[in-house]
Amino acid sequence: LGDIIVGSVKEAIPKGKVKKGKVVYGVVVRAAMQKGRVDGSQVKFDDNAIVVVGIKEKKKKKPEENKKNKVEFNQPTGTRVFGPVPHEMRNKKQLKILALAQHMV
Amino acid sequence: MATSFNRLPPQALHMITRNPTQSSKKLGFSTFLSCAPSVDSSFSRLSLNHSGSKFGLSLDTRVRKEFIVRAEDNAEAEPEEAAVDGIVDAEGNVEEVVEVGEAKSMRKPRIKLGDVMGILNKKAIEVSEKVRPVPEIRTGDIVEIKLEVPENRRRLSIYKGIVMSRQNAGIHTTIRIRRIIAGIGVEIVFPIYSPNIKEIKVMSHRKVRRARLYYLRDKLPRLSTFK
Repeated sequence: LGDIIVGSVKEAIPKGKVKKGKVVYGVVVRAAMQKGRVDGSQVKFDDNAIVVVGIKEKKKKKPEENKKNKVEFNQPTGTRVFGPVPHEMRNKKQLKILALAQHMV
Repeated sequence: MATSFNRLPPQALHMITRNPTQSSKKLGFSTFLSCAPSVDSSFSRLSLNHSGSKFGLSLDTRVRKEFIVRAEDNAEAEPEEAAVDGIVDAEGNVEEVVEVGEAKSMRKPRIKLGDVMGILNKKAIEVSEKVRPVPEIRTGDIVEIKLEVPENRRRLSIYKGIVMSRQNAGIHTTIRIRRIIAGIGVEIVFPIYSPNIKEIKVMSHRKVRRARLYYLRDKLPRLSTFK
C-alpha cells in the first residue's frame, strides 16, 4: 500500500489519457492483502487497485532530461479516483490522491 | 468464646465430615497452630479425629478467623453463625476461593507458571476497562466504532459495519468489521481494548448462525452495506 509499481495497461476506456499497451507507473491504493497499522489494527480491501501517476516513455532521453524521476511520482495522471483510499497515502506523501478520494479508511 | 464454640461443633463436625471428599491445599499445620494459640487445643482435638486428612485446616482456618474477629470485635453470635452457615451452604466452590484468601493472610500462594499470562492479561483488561468500558460484542452485531487516528486527524474516524469474527486473545482481543465503502468491500480488524478507540456502540444485531462470517465475502455487496 502506497508503493509505486510498474504495469501495462490491458484495458482502457476509449478517450482516456492512457492507451492500451502503455507502460505506466502506479501507486497501490488498495490491496487484498491485509496491511497492519501501528495501533494494532489491520485493513484489507476486496480488490487490488492503483492510481496511475506517470507514464513511462519509450524513447531514450539523456538522463538529466528524464522526467520520470522516482521522487516526482505525486501527481496522478487522472482527475478522479474511485473507491476508498487508506491512510497510508499520507505517509507516502500522496496528498493529491487523498484529496481526490471519495472515502478514506 | 467458649460458649459460642460449643454452639459451633455440630456445624463444624458436619463440615469436617464433608471434607474428606474434597481435596484442599496444604496449609502448614504448624503455622496454623502457631497462629491461634487460644483455640489451639480445641482445633487440634477436632483435627485429630480425622487423622491423616488435611482438609480440616481449610474450614478450621475460616472458623478460626471468625473466632479471632469475634474476639477482637466482641461481635454478636448471630453474624458468626450466619457466616458459618454461609460456609456450609456454598462450600463446594467457595472453599477454594476462601482457601486462597485465607492462605494469603497466612502465606503467599504459589502461582503456577502456566497462569502468569492469564493473570497479566486480566489485569491489563481491567485497567483498560476502567478507562473505557467495552460492551459485549458478538458476531453478527452491527457496530459503530469511533477511532482516533494520531496521524494529524482532529476528528474521530467512524467505522461502521458488521462484526465478522471475534478473536479472543486476552488484551489483544480483536473484532473484524466488514462494510462496503464506495463500492469496495473493506475489512478492518480492531483490537477492542486499544486506547485509540474512543467509543464502541452496538447499533443492531443480525441473526447469524456462524461464529465467523467469512461467507459474506462471496455474497452480494448488498448484504454487507450499512447506512
